[in-house]
Amino acid sequence: MKCILWASILTFFSVSALFGQELTGEDIIQKVNDLLTVESSHSKSKMTIVTTSGEKRTFVMESWSKDNGEKNLVRYQEPRRVKDQAVLMLNQADDIWMYFPRTQRVRKLATHAKKQKMQGSDFSYEDMGSGDAFITDYTPRRLEDEKMEDHDCYKVELTRKEESDMSYSRMILWVIKENFVPVVIDYYDDKDPDRWIKRLIESDIRKIDGIWTAMKVVMQNKNDNTQTEMELLEVEYNVPLNDSMFTERGLKK
Amino acid sequence: MRTRFVLILLSLMVTARSHAQSGLELFGYFESQIMGAVIEDRLNQVFMNKLRVDLNYDPSDRITFAANFDYITYHGKTEWNILQFLVPNITETIPEDMTGFYVIPFSDRHFLDNAYIKFVFRRFDLTVGKQQISLGSGYVWNPTDVFNIKDVLDPTYEQPGHNALRLDVPLGNSGGVTALYSPEDTWKQSSKLIQLKMRIPRFDVSFIAIETLWRFHDYTEFDEDTFGFLEQPEKRRVLGGSLEGELFGLGLWSEYGHSLMRKSKDFYELVVGMNYTFDFQTFVMMEYYRNTLAESDYRQYTLDDWMRYFTAEQKAVSRDQLYTLIQHPVTDFIELGMMSIISISDGSVALVPTFNWSFSENLDIMAYANVNFGKDGTAFSKMTGSGALIRARVYF
Repeated sequence: MKCILWASILTFFSVSALFGQELTGEDIIQKVNDLLTVESSHSKSKMTIVTTSGEKRTFVMESWSKDNGEKNLVRYQEPRRVKDQAVLMLNQADDIWMYFPRTQRVRKLATHAKKQKMQGSDFSYEDMGSGDAFITDYTPRRLEDEKMEDHDCYKVELTRKEESDMSYSRMILWVIKENFVPVVIDYYDDKDPDRWIKRLIESDIRKIDGIWTAMKVVMQNKNDNTQTEMELLEVEYNVPLNDSMFTERGLKK
Repeated sequence: MRTRFVLILLSLMVTARSHAQSGLELFGYFESQIMGAVIEDRLNQVFMNKLRVDLNYDPSDRITFAANFDYITYHGKTEWNILQFLVPNITETIPEDMTGFYVIPFSDRHFLDNAYIKFVFRRFDLTVGKQQISLGSGYVWNPTDVFNIKDVLDPTYEQPGHNALRLDVPLGNSGGVTALYSPEDTWKQSSKLIQLKMRIPRFDVSFIAIETLWRFHDYTEFDEDTFGFLEQPEKRRVLGGSLEGELFGLGLWSEYGHSLMRKSKDFYELVVGMNYTFDFQTFVMMEYYRNTLAESDYRQYTLDDWMRYFTAEQKAVSRDQLYTLIQHPVTDFIELGMMSIISISDGSVALVPTFNWSFSENLDIMAYANVNFGKDGTAFSKMTGSGALIRARVYF
């Protein structure tokens, strides 16, 4: 159901087919979403939280994704305090389990827990989930094109569908025309669609294994005046991953 | 003995460093805590320092060796007389010459807490050795966990290791069977467990059957052979199950254990809990616990009930209890909360404000204070001591 962060990080696109066409909002989001359907991926990333006082916290995590983002496993490597804590997200993050190595307990989280900040960062568990939420949970509308972060971009507004339980009432995406990477995403409050709460900025966009990938993603929290930076240290796509990785057994490994 | 332990630790560190590149990991934490309690209008305090050293070694993808050593020292008031917490109608029944035995000592300890090898086969995992056994979905109370009793004020603290052979067989991608054997002197005295886990839409479900020997004590009888209270072991069979998932947007869990006793009366335990996170990040939780082994009228609490509760032989002294928690992150790294533990049976309440601070990447500071409001003789009476705890833990 969800796909905010990985939709942004693992964005990829075949460039030529779309040049010169007049695209609707649906077309743009569909193309972005279609290209998210990478069969599997494995990455190592570094998350740095910067607080209002300028204090920094760094986490290193390893992630695996399968079945076009339907299954995700994240395992912390650093710091020691959270080493080997792991999060398993299935059914596009509708089902989440957390593993705590100190107590060797696995807890199933209800969907509301996805609103919680991940390790105090500006990313929620929902942000980390994967899937096709842009399509299933939101209605797109193309706005006037704009230049953003030095890129010529399509600007698309996504409005949450009534039946959706996503945390953001509205999003605005700036999608790079050249490669369809959503270079900036603005998030609006759950209850108040006019209240801007977060901005995601992607940079250092490279083609890896033929897939456009943002190596750096920054989430700015407008409420708290904090930000979290996510940097991809390693990434590989279409790697063979066994289904048993995405089970309680794999979670506890 | 201490010297030997330190030497072992040092040699482990040196060895670990030299083997770091071959996959041997050495990590752990040091924690220092102060705990105080007001008893008979006097503040008593005990300090604890704990060093935990963990080892992890994966000689291959299919084998893991893990172990940890704990070294714990206590300072301050290291002997607590339980009778100070009890009402006169209970303490008056104790013969004068036995009153000195109702003391819980905090003695320095160092021990091998966990040490096990895990073999990963294609169709199953086999874990052999001292290992943590975590059972059930309850947050504070676990009716199906016959191996551990959580501290109601600190329910997420790690549990000790138990010697066991454990077999985990996955069934498809969403279920599995666990069989566990925890050996004692004889087969009959040993604990045996089988658990079936499965997944239904929105819920994880498990069924469990356990046979164990419950080592109750009679705290009114003294055993001259062991120089302790008389042990009254009794065969206990537990049938139960648990579920954990979501309903109407709320996190929901439940756990049930029916204990069939060889000699004494059968009893059951039930837990039902729910939680929710609001959009503004406030987290709320509630867990109800019923234990029919405990009494519903506080005037019926006996010396055995209290002693078994204080020595963690039984989970509660009163029959019906409710745990609530409200927690909110006031900054990125500080959470404030308020716990309450309510004995529905006797109307007593403990209020516990909490403070958690992620001081730096590898240093946590936590604190709580418990203030009891019950009448004398109830589960959370003023007599049982209001107090506080502050703990700093650094990970390495």
